[in-house]
Amino acid sequence: MKIDRRSFLSLGVGAVAGLTLSPLPWKMMDDSSIWTQMWPWTPVPEDGEVSYVNSTCTLCPGGCGILVRKVNERAVKIEGLKGHPVNDGGICILGLSGLQLLYGPTRVKTPLKRVGKRGEGRWEKISWDKAISEVAEKLKNLRKENKPHTVGCISGSANGTLPKLIERFLTVYGSPNFMKIPSIQDSYELTLHLTQGVQALAGVDIENSDFVLSFGSGIIDGWGSPVRMFKANSALKKSGGRLVQIEPRLSNTAAKADRWIPINPGTEAALALGLAHVIVKKSLYHKDFIENYASGFYDKTGDNGFKRFVLDECGLDKISKITGVDKTVMETLAKNFAKAKKPIAISGRGQGKSPGSLNEFMAVHALNALVGNINKKGGISAVPEPDFINWPELEMDAIAAKGMQKERLDGAGSNKFPDTGSLLNRFAQSINSGETGKKYPMEVLFVAGANPCYTMPDTKTTKKAFGKIPFVVSFSPYMDETAQNADLILPNHTCLERYEDMPAPVGLTKPVICLSKPVVSPLFDTKQTGDVIIALAKALSGNISKAFVWDSYKTCLEKTLGSKWDVLVEDGIWVDNDFTAPAWENAFDTPSAKFEFYALKTDDINPVKIEGDDNSYPLVLMPYDSVRLANGFIGDPPFVVKTVSDTVLKGKDSFVEINPETAKSCGLSQGNYAVLSTPKGTAMVKINLFEGIMPGIIALPRGLGHTAYDKYLANKGLNVNDLIGPVEDSVSGLDTAWGIRAKLSKA
Amino acid sequence: MSTKENAKDENTENGSADQDNKGRGDSSSGFIILFFIVGLVASLVVGWIVFPKLLYSRKKQPIDFNHVIHVEAVDEGCESCHFFREDGTFSGIPKLEQCTDCHEEAQGEDPNEIKFVEEYVAKEKEVPWLIYSRQPDCVFFSHVAHVKMAKMDCATCHGPVGESEHSKVYEKNRVTGYSRDIWGKNISGFKKNTYDRMKMDDCAQCHEKETGDKGSCFQCHK
Amino acid sequence: MNKEHKDTKTKKFGMVIDLDLCTGCGACMVACMAENNVPFKEDESNKLDSITWMRVYKLTNGKSFPDTDICYIPRPCQHCGGIGDHGHSPCVSVCPATATDYDHETGIVSQIYTRCFGCRYCMAACPYHARYFNWWDPVWPGDMKESLSPNVSPRMRGVVEKCSFCFHRYQQAKDRAYANGRREIEENEYQTACTQACPAGAITFGDLNNPEHQVHKLVNPDPKHCGRPKNPKAFRLLERLQTNPKVYYISSREWVRRAGDNYIKNESKQIA
Repeated sequence: MKIDRRSFLSLGVGAVAGLTLSPLPWKMMDDSSIWTQMWPWTPVPEDGEVSYVNSTCTLCPGGCGILVRKVNERAVKIEGLKGHPVNDGGICILGLSGLQLLYGPTRVKTPLKRVGKRGEGRWEKISWDKAISEVAEKLKNLRKENKPHTVGCISGSANGTLPKLIERFLTVYGSPNFMKIPSIQDSYELTLHLTQGVQALAGVDIENSDFVLSFGSGIIDGWGSPVRMFKANSALKKSGGRLVQIEPRLSNTAAKADRWIPINPGTEAALALGLAHVIVKKSLYHKDFIENYASGFYDKTGDNGFKRFVLDECGLDKISKITGVDKTVMETLAKNFAKAKKPIAISGRGQGKSPGSLNEFMAVHALNALVGNINKKGGISAVPEPDFINWPELEMDAIAAKGMQKERLDGAGSNKFPDTGSLLNRFAQSINSGETGKKYPMEVLFVAGANPCYTMPDTKTTKKAFGKIPFVVSFSPYMDETAQNADLILPNHTCLERYEDMPAPVGLTKPVICLSKPVVSPLFDTKQTGDVIIALAKALSGNISKAFVWDSYKTCLEKTLGSKWDVLVEDGIWVDNDFTAPAWENAFDTPSAKFEFYALKTDDINPVKIEGDDNSYPLVLMPYDSVRLANGFIGDPPFVVKTVSDTVLKGKDSFVEINPETAKSCGLSQGNYAVLSTPKGTAMVKINLFEGIMPGIIALPRGLGHTAYDKYLANKGLNVNDLIGPVEDSVSGLDTAWGIRAKLSKA
Repeated sequence: MSTKENAKDENTENGSADQDNKGRGDSSSGFIILFFIVGLVASLVVGWIVFPKLLYSRKKQPIDFNHVIHVEAVDEGCESCHFFREDGTFSGIPKLEQCTDCHEEAQGEDPNEIKFVEEYVAKEKEVPWLIYSRQPDCVFFSHVAHVKMAKMDCATCHGPVGESEHSKVYEKNRVTGYSRDIWGKNISGFKKNTYDRMKMDDCAQCHEKETGDKGSCFQCHK
Repeated sequence: MNKEHKDTKTKKFGMVIDLDLCTGCGACMVACMAENNVPFKEDESNKLDSITWMRVYKLTNGKSFPDTDICYIPRPCQHCGGIGDHGHSPCVSVCPATATDYDHETGIVSQIYTRCFGCRYCMAACPYHARYFNWWDPVWPGDMKESLSPNVSPRMRGVVEKCSFCFHRYQQAKDRAYANGRREIEENEYQTACTQACPAGAITFGDLNNPEHQVHKLVNPDPKHCGRPKNPKAFRLLERLQTNPKVYYISSREWVRRAGDNYIKNESKQIA
């Protein structure tokens, strides 16, 4: 007997037979297939109890109510709040992707102090106590040197408890340099102030209008409170109202409008006056309003009236030549507008990020006066800001009082621009230019709720100005461009982690306050900026500390809102439902107690100037706004970037929109690379042929070309602000730039 | 079978087999059978006894839970602790907060209860219960449809858990990561009770019996 | 008991999108992504591998300035029923794994990720490009995993995914109804995430079988012609393929309606 090879083979056969008869192979087959179906690295979201928290979205000034769905302590979805007066259940893409901002990698998780060079991105963690005492020390020393006015702040908004707390801090500390990010709100406020003598916000009742005449306002491109405007647009469609869009590019609004009238850009004021010409000539204006409640329509001693001006200076041939709009089109348009029951004319290009020319706002508003739809349903009304911030009077010490007497660095409120509150567009220029010698340098700058290094036109100059400020403190919750260029970051909670009031969302027809409240507890070692300001005040002691009687931002907010607090916590919104815009008898606070048509000058019908000469720069570059690209303080979260079309952004390349005819004359075709240069800079772009843009004009979207944030947003496309610069309005000082001259050449 | 017969068989099979190989063939065929049997038995032992032991890791629950005591103490049976939320979702294993309602402090001297109070209630830490019937993420299961609408008994799928005085050992499949209760108590796949397994076929079987068809994919998958 | 288990009426969930109201804002796309744990990558500008269950396309009328016009058209999965609603959807017919299936109770085309093995036949078969392949395992940077919804399984590399008409919301609505002792759900209880989010109110969702539902009233589907809309302003995409989709569009512009089907150039009459 011998054990041979065959025996072992037999052992193997037996083993195989045995295994086949055992569950092992069958079970393993089943189990391994299950394993491959559910890789351990595929996340399994934890299930649990679902709850909903209502709040206000403060990612833009729209003031939408949101409902956040939570599973246990996790926030899993943001939805629009049904029944909310602003958005009634609707929501925009930015609001929808708010959780990516909360949980995303762009958060600044602790206070950070710069260790490398500015903008190098090298930081060290620092404790809150240390960070606050460091800032307090700096501020103390400046006061010792009698230089409190060299401290400034750029805030995203001037309204609400937090901005007012910062302003109060600066005031009692001794600095007039509280600046805010500009918008069309500034121009509207100024327009209402000059024509109606009121300090109020413009309420636009588009929902109830039957004829909306929009001078480039992107009603469905993010103008005003975006979701409300989407709804208003739908309401208009359903009620049979008409929307006429006047702008050189076929924007979404133009595409959805009943009529799109392309116009030479910058000549909107001329067109408005041309329409006024028709309305006056044909006596289509609102007689009662003009005769009894308006002043300056007819000639006054020494002054030509509005009527004479539009009749004499705004002949349709002349206007047609300026605007490029056909005479008959203007005539029909003016007639239809004036004959509508509830017409409204609105201004502010795109989303209204740039304040624009005051002259244009005044001319468009004159149309509203001509048809007498002021403070009327379906018209435009002056809505006072909710008056709820009533804090104890400030007691300024001698240093503060002296500091407050200094002229602001941006020149707002000066003799030159007495009516304007803040002129951030002049700030960088003033810091960089020789004016600094005349005035004073800026030593410390706070930036809260704003990202000027990205959003301000002419980024290079803005960054240069920042480079001249020795100490920049950012309060941003995200690592944005400004935070990146700061010396210290004191991160705020995100809007889903904090209390914050937002009075007066843009364009609402009633005084409103919205409140955002914590939906989840703060994820990181961040602090509400209000608390930081209060802590700073306490650290500075004396009158400054005394001006801040609250122990925390939340108590301050609660006391400030008083009886409205409970309503706001419950509903997220407080509406002054009793408010109705005053009747014409009591509406105007001007010297004549009437609506005042402003005295027009011949050059008021000339196009709004832009930078650059026609010879070296044969084209005109216009930035445009897309609702798919956030272009303000908040950078686009990944979901939003995902929705951007591949004819706007491909890889890292931005596309410039150009009429095929113009492209042909430049020797360019679809997808070509081209060099785009303007007086402000040069960049490489790709060509996207678009029939919906006027020949001679090229357009780039706002909101691309970030250099900060995360890899989902940074280094994609071009920041149009790198290529354009501000142009100062001669009356308001605000930025009127709607574009810049440009040149395209084959790469 | 005799050796002779075997040899004869071989001869017949092989036809012109070499005579020299005969003797060797006789003796080695014994080994062949022996080895075959050894291999067979060994692999059967491995497949039926060793493999199941290896396949499942055995884990003890953090607290030995006595269902009997609790069922006696509450009014509404299983639903007293495993309740439906207002939106129709099922709460599953109670959260600490719910237990704390009664067990703020230890009510008796049971070491398990004392451990629970000291380690979890006092520290406000959730108990990391091991869930016997956790389904994979791709499965959607509506308790309310089965319990409220079809009036099924919890025990049909979960077995007589309410009658257990101790928590049984949790057996985790090392390959799939899921509980043995889901993928079959019996390794050979035989079911004695309705609650012996909770695989797709088991759901489908019952659905077919009760509703007439297995239902569509989305009915149970997400 | 058997009968009682079934929902009393067979549903046919469908969607009507009013292109006159649609502003192309993209809220539907993002609402869908946030609701359904749709992954994202560093670069999403290659639209061939960019997963968007709901995608908004931009159409142009091809005319030159200033007569040019654009229209946005959101495109979810069309949930084709095939001729006679027998469930012969282009994708279901070709799936070798039964990973995609037609639910006769709701008319919804399902996609089961764990069942799918990634052959992508369905993607080739779908005439609407409504199906997407996961070329990579999804990555949720930072703490973004925290925002994942437990109602929809996150997908893995190598499987196809597509719009489900937020079927989990149907399940949740039924659960809520069951908890209240009701067997049937109300129209507003089951709405997709895109419908709910649309700020323009352009999307309407409901049961096409139910004449009381808005969707039915808006398009008035013709049962004799495979559900083709009787409303002259309504149309379906690629009607002539007879895929019998459950997504209807409304537009008052003739060129948009025409663009909804692949007409041969200069073909004058609409072919049904």
